[in-house]
Amino acid sequence: MFIARYMTTPPFTIAPEMTIPAARELLQSRHFRHLPVVDEGGKLIGMLTDRDLRSAYPSSVLSGEVIKSCLAELDKTPVSAIMSRAFFTVTPDSTLDDALILLDRERVGALPVLDEAGTVVGIFSIRDLIKAYRSLFGLGERGSAMIVVADDGNPKPLTRISRVLEEHQIRFTRLIRKEKENPQDNATIYLRVNTYNLSAVRSALHEAGFQVAIPTIIPPTEQPA
Amino acid sequence: MLPLTLIHDPHCLRHDTGGNDHPEAPSRLAAITGRLQKSPLAAQTTTAPSRPAERHWLTTVHSEEYLLRFEESCLAGKSSLDHPDNQLCYDSYEAALHAAGMGLLAIDCIEKNPGRRLFCCTRPPGHHAERSLALGFCFLNNAAIAARYWQEAHGRRKVMLIDWDAHHGNGIQAAFEEDPEVFYLSIHEHPTWSFPGTGWKEETGLGPGKGATCNIPLPPGSDDPAVMKAIAEQVEPALNRFGPEALVICAGFDGHAADDMSGLRYSSELYRHLGECAARWAARYCDGRVLTLLEGGYHLESLAAGVEEYLTGLATLDP
Repeated sequence: MFIARYMTTPPFTIAPEMTIPAARELLQSRHFRHLPVVDEGGKLIGMLTDRDLRSAYPSSVLSGEVIKSCLAELDKTPVSAIMSRAFFTVTPDSTLDDALILLDRERVGALPVLDEAGTVVGIFSIRDLIKAYRSLFGLGERGSAMIVVADDGNPKPLTRISRVLEEHQIRFTRLIRKEKENPQDNATIYLRVNTYNLSAVRSALHEAGFQVAIPTIIPPTEQPA
Repeated sequence: MLPLTLIHDPHCLRHDTGGNDHPEAPSRLAAITGRLQKSPLAAQTTTAPSRPAERHWLTTVHSEEYLLRFEESCLAGKSSLDHPDNQLCYDSYEAALHAAGMGLLAIDCIEKNPGRRLFCCTRPPGHHAERSLALGFCFLNNAAIAARYWQEAHGRRKVMLIDWDAHHGNGIQAAFEEDPEVFYLSIHEHPTWSFPGTGWKEETGLGPGKGATCNIPLPPGSDDPAVMKAIAEQVEPALNRFGPEALVICAGFDGHAADDMSGLRYSSELYRHLGECAARWAARYCDGRVLTLLEGGYHLESLAAGVEEYLTGLATLDP
């Protein structure tokens, strides 16, 4: 769950003196959206995003003359003039949860990862977060299927499920129990099995006293007026 | 009603999946032939044995390394290949060769007698098998091999595979993803809830094959109207756009409500409709050239009933 395992390394960083057109060229050619700006010692001093760059460029509705003079100005302007100096960072031993909370709360797309000396050692983007959770939960994992099991309300549901599956030598890789969100609902158990023999999965679960639920879209609970 | 030919071979019954309630059992084929013998279709149905597919046709889809590994696993007495799901026995390689050969034999027959209605009792099934991977009870990708054979032995370059097994045919998609001449269309239970977890609707082919793959995932609990809607809104327009010269139907019967290998809720009657569709499309687009290969279907009674319904639809003179 540590960022060190999921961050993108080595980080691509730029110097504050780099001109705005050069930085734009770099973002476009490399398909980046975020560039950490570092000093000579590799310390983070700012973040440059594709949004910063877009707002630095003149609007296409302006006259040709105005655009030309703006572009000439940009040619001479370093990224330090437009980069964000207020930034949010994580460390290699931050967890995915830390990053998720920060990305969500601060509405940013990526977080530079700094070591103890403040040197940029990686970058962790929303895309990296998606990839990390995708691999943790096995979404889209070939050769598997997600089974939804209705919690029967009896004690030790997860123990009973894992025991019966192991007894029947049914491979499974994820077993998640989600508490009920509304008093009228039941808790839901999600089980990722790595077998095509879903018939065997069903009968094993049945043996342990569970029913496989057909997943449905539950209409949103009516909100009080 | 048109005459029907059932390609059925004793080799395919010798593929022993170890008992223990393994769903892909020889009793599947016995259920089909038993049902058809008692069916009104019996009078117009002839049966023919298969022939083993030649190695150079297998390697149009599979790697040499994989074929050797598969054959060796059988001869060495191993009990499975790549995953415990894929149970095998000494005779499984030979059975798989005969299953893959069914498509080739049937295609030769169709080319000689266009409009002939053939159904191949392929076992082991094929659509999950990839180039170098056995998956989901499948070892050789019978449908993919047949499509390549149709192209290369008979010059029918534009082949369309329509797969309505409850599960996505990942192996067929992988084989033709970059090929603009082979269109793969699959209607299956949504990959979030279903094996093998592939077949997203966003996948439409790669590179030159862009636009020649179509996945139609249905949510668990989907029944006949969902399939009819998919046919009207997606399958028929795709057929129209592509204009196939030959049609391969990958017929899996595990979407039936009684089959617990999927959460789909199809009725037996749906398969008659699918048979009529296959006959109509074959007549409309490819001078009657339609090949049907068995894929899944594990609830014996509904499998047999589904095949009978499908053949009734397929043999309809004026669909």
